[in-house]
Amino acid sequence: MTTTGLVLIEEHAQRVKPPRMLAVPFFFGNALGEADNPEYQHKILQATFDLLDRDSGPVLEQLPDDMVPDILMQGSETENESEDKGLNAADELTSLRAYYEQWTESHGGRTAVGASSIPQRRFRGVVRFLEGYINREETDMKERPEDATLPQFIRHCVNDLKAFYYEARMAQRPDGADRDIHDWFWSATAMGALTMSLAQRMRDDEDPETQALAYGIAR
Amino acid sequence: MLELKLATNEGDSVPKLSVLSEIQRKSLLMWPCIEHDDTPWTPMAKPLSESKLALVTTAGLHVRGDKPFIQEHTKGGDTSFRVIPRSAGAADIIQSHTSLGFDHTGIYRDINVTFPIDRLPELVEQGKIGSLSDNYYSFMGALRDVTGIIEDSGPEVARRLKAEGVDVVLLTPT
Repeated sequence: MTTTGLVLIEEHAQRVKPPRMLAVPFFFGNALGEADNPEYQHKILQATFDLLDRDSGPVLEQLPDDMVPDILMQGSETENESEDKGLNAADELTSLRAYYEQWTESHGGRTAVGASSIPQRRFRGVVRFLEGYINREETDMKERPEDATLPQFIRHCVNDLKAFYYEARMAQRPDGADRDIHDWFWSATAMGALTMSLAQRMRDDEDPETQALAYGIAR
Repeated sequence: MLELKLATNEGDSVPKLSVLSEIQRKSLLMWPCIEHDDTPWTPMAKPLSESKLALVTTAGLHVRGDKPFIQEHTKGGDTSFRVIPRSAGAADIIQSHTSLGFDHTGIYRDINVTFPIDRLPELVEQGKIGSLSDNYYSFMGALRDVTGIIEDSGPEVARRLKAEGVDVVLLTPT
């Protein structure tokens, strides 16, 4: 079989030497350039397929483009103001539900929520579970699969909560820039504050797996 | 805003890494990639317009309800794969990629930005691609040890692709 593909870190392709790769100047998560831009995505695909016609390899070419990738904002870059405003994650989540449902309705049912397999209408229970974990209570959820450790399951729950918030925000502010959504989540929401506390709790744990998973929760 | 430096054939050797944070840049430069001295080369047997194409990604995607990828630090990462039927729509696919180091908002908005499931049928309609495989395949990226892919899951996916008569594979990262 003949292969061609996209690579985001050109230096890695230089070392691995796959047969044909197009190095694209986009930030992670955006290999085909831009969401909701089919015309541009086709341009990227065409450039990738053009490499199939080469007679010898390895072929590693770059796509010239003037798109500037943004730097992904992390929670530690901002001060969370939710506590000062008296917000709590469970009520906040409920207040966003209509926006989240608006998002899924306007996207044909599509949602990034689903890693934990817990329906979003029961996310208040997930918040209570995570708050209990932060407070070092004996806590768990019956939905946790037998083959998933507690920290792995927490990770899936956090992925779902983040996706819920981000999709709700994108429904609220359809024209909002991606960085503004990150800024909002980490600096203005009680869920952002809870996620930071959760990551700290996991970093403080004695279990190496829990410590490692904290890196993927918040930093 | 930092300026993106694009590489040229003669110019900069570190284009995209220059726009990342210092931690990310060092982390990626130190990443334990497999280094090869040569490249397996399979020329096109026929034009793309007559070929069957499959999509394979390292975006950690899977069908909703399928087992999420897991983070196995002690083992260097999850080297298993998931089958994503071509008939699956964007609403059927979710991502359990374990890296926090990238922006998920693009994928939330439009999965085609990393997994072009809607673009490929458009290219078939336009006659640029002959046909598409019935199944696509997904792996986890950001693996620190790819031995499991080299020895087990990679050959298994290749076997399945060949059994389906695939001529060309498009590889996408996230």
